[in-house]
Amino acid sequence: MIRQICFLSICTLFFISCSSKEEEYIQINTPLAFEVPSNFPEEVYNLKANPPTKLGFELGKKLFYDGRLSANGFVSCGFCHEQRTAFTHHGHQFSHGIDDLEGKRNTPAIQNVAFMSEFAWDGATSHLDLFPIIPITNEVEMGETMSSVILKIKSDSEYQYMFEKAFEEGEITTENFLKALSQFMVMMISANSKYDYYIRNENDVDLSDIEKEGLELFKAKCATCHQTDLFTDNSFRNNGLPPNPNLNDIGRAEVSGAVSDNYKFKVPSLRNIELTAPYMHDGRFGSLAAVLDFYTDGVVDSPTLDPELKKENRLGILLTESEKIALIAYLNTLTDENYINDTRFAEY
Amino acid sequence: MKNYKIIVASIFSLILFSCSDNDETDSELTGNGEVSITFDNGFNGNDLIIGAKNSANTNGEELTITRLNYIVSNFSLIDVDGNEYIFPKDDSYFIISQENEIEDVVLPEIPAGEYTTLKFGVGVDQEKYLQGADGQGDFLTLAEDNEMMWSWQAGYKFLNFEGNFTSDTVTEVTDFKIHMGSHGSSLDNYKEVSLALPINVKVSDDMDSNIHLKIDASKILTGSTSIKLSEKSVIMVDEVKSPQIAVNTTEMFAVDHVHNGNGH
Repeated sequence: MIRQICFLSICTLFFISCSSKEEEYIQINTPLAFEVPSNFPEEVYNLKANPPTKLGFELGKKLFYDGRLSANGFVSCGFCHEQRTAFTHHGHQFSHGIDDLEGKRNTPAIQNVAFMSEFAWDGATSHLDLFPIIPITNEVEMGETMSSVILKIKSDSEYQYMFEKAFEEGEITTENFLKALSQFMVMMISANSKYDYYIRNENDVDLSDIEKEGLELFKAKCATCHQTDLFTDNSFRNNGLPPNPNLNDIGRAEVSGAVSDNYKFKVPSLRNIELTAPYMHDGRFGSLAAVLDFYTDGVVDSPTLDPELKKENRLGILLTESEKIALIAYLNTLTDENYINDTRFAEY
Repeated sequence: MKNYKIIVASIFSLILFSCSDNDETDSELTGNGEVSITFDNGFNGNDLIIGAKNSANTNGEELTITRLNYIVSNFSLIDVDGNEYIFPKDDSYFIISQENEIEDVVLPEIPAGEYTTLKFGVGVDQEKYLQGADGQGDFLTLAEDNEMMWSWQAGYKFLNFEGNFTSDTVTEVTDFKIHMGSHGSSLDNYKEVSLALPINVKVSDDMDSNIHLKIDASKILTGSTSIKLSEKSVIMVDEVKSPQIAVNTTEMFAVDHVHNGNGH
């Protein structure tokens, strides 16, 4: 009799431990390692306030590709930010939104945002977490309100489960919603282009002679604004584009209200530039050759033109035709195939 | 005669008792209590009524107000010894809305004591904003629900003041819109207000108290800097006028009275 009880107890113990083990397996959430590439400056994003985790990242990715974040249910973040073109809206001059509405600016790439201190072409926000509010609430982009998006998501049992697992206080709130999106975006690091391998002495990668020539030209003529291996100094500058009278986009001045900021836009990173045509804040140029032609011959003077483009009694940047070819050869080494093919960030 | 003396003595002692009652010292205020602050919106000495026309302000403009919402934050109280009690920052952001009839800020668990001065901010400070999602919590949604979010810019409107007006030069009824907030990272319009209380506000385990503020919304346009709607009726992001409006707004708050103990 006693032996039987013992046996039963052991059996029960076995069952209990089995079932609890299974629960733990489902619930496990692990921190994601955030590694700063050795050729990058320190990150700006406060990872302590919102440390990326496996489940937070997965939740952020689901939200990023969910059309329900928009009023008509179709326009997700990924609609305009397509991975194969470094998360830009390939071939579109302007970002497209709900009801076939169109914005007035070109979709910027999403990459290395953990290292950025200003967001959107005009720096409408200086915190990554708060950025998604702009496209979500913009009438010509996703046309929603935050409250309504949160309500939609709350009614979805899969989201309820994912929020619960991803966060300690796992309610579906605006705070957790924005944190999840940031966790996804913070991990989107592009740092494995041919140039990166070359500059870090990795994988025996060398640049060709023309690419090296382009690199030297770049350092001499472009790197004042396109600084560091992020290729931006996070500043706002007027690069001398003649304003498009049909848009009359005054750029940074829309945020600051300062006339001295008229026609200034954020210096964009040049990573993956080969993939992100069309170029400039309004997507006016279809090729890099057209961009460089503009810098040599098209810069227009105005009270806010950047002083860097007004040196030695001439406008723009002095470049010969062969130098332009070398520069473009160099810029093409900034394409990061790993990034655009990284399945961690892929919609499907 | 004797009776009379007794009566006089009784009256004196009553007076003495009531005196000492009024004269409660700090040592008798123990524990903690709630301080509520009522933001009683008015316009130039009158009640502020949504949709009703007000008589002309000192700029000669007759305003009909359809919206008056503002953010108040970072509350603190200074006690009789000059010590400042800062209400927990994470819980210290509130919206006052005339149209949604939100007029009270409730600060629970204020340490017992007597306080001489109320301080708070108008708007959201950069420190809070730059905490990102972590710092905003549900305040973002609350702000959105009360028309206090810029739609094209992920920031807060500190003041949303709308309506219509006429003046000598603008005779047609014309809409006005004043949205004031910080301009991204380039201009910080968060401002602080410090109000000396006419009598000390007391709080303890047995005493929840109320500070009743009267707001004169006309000051938004006629404070330190005169802002004429006839010159510009939509002011949203204006490098010159927005900071002036921010200062004017801090001038609209005045303490009307303090209720020590329950009741408003």
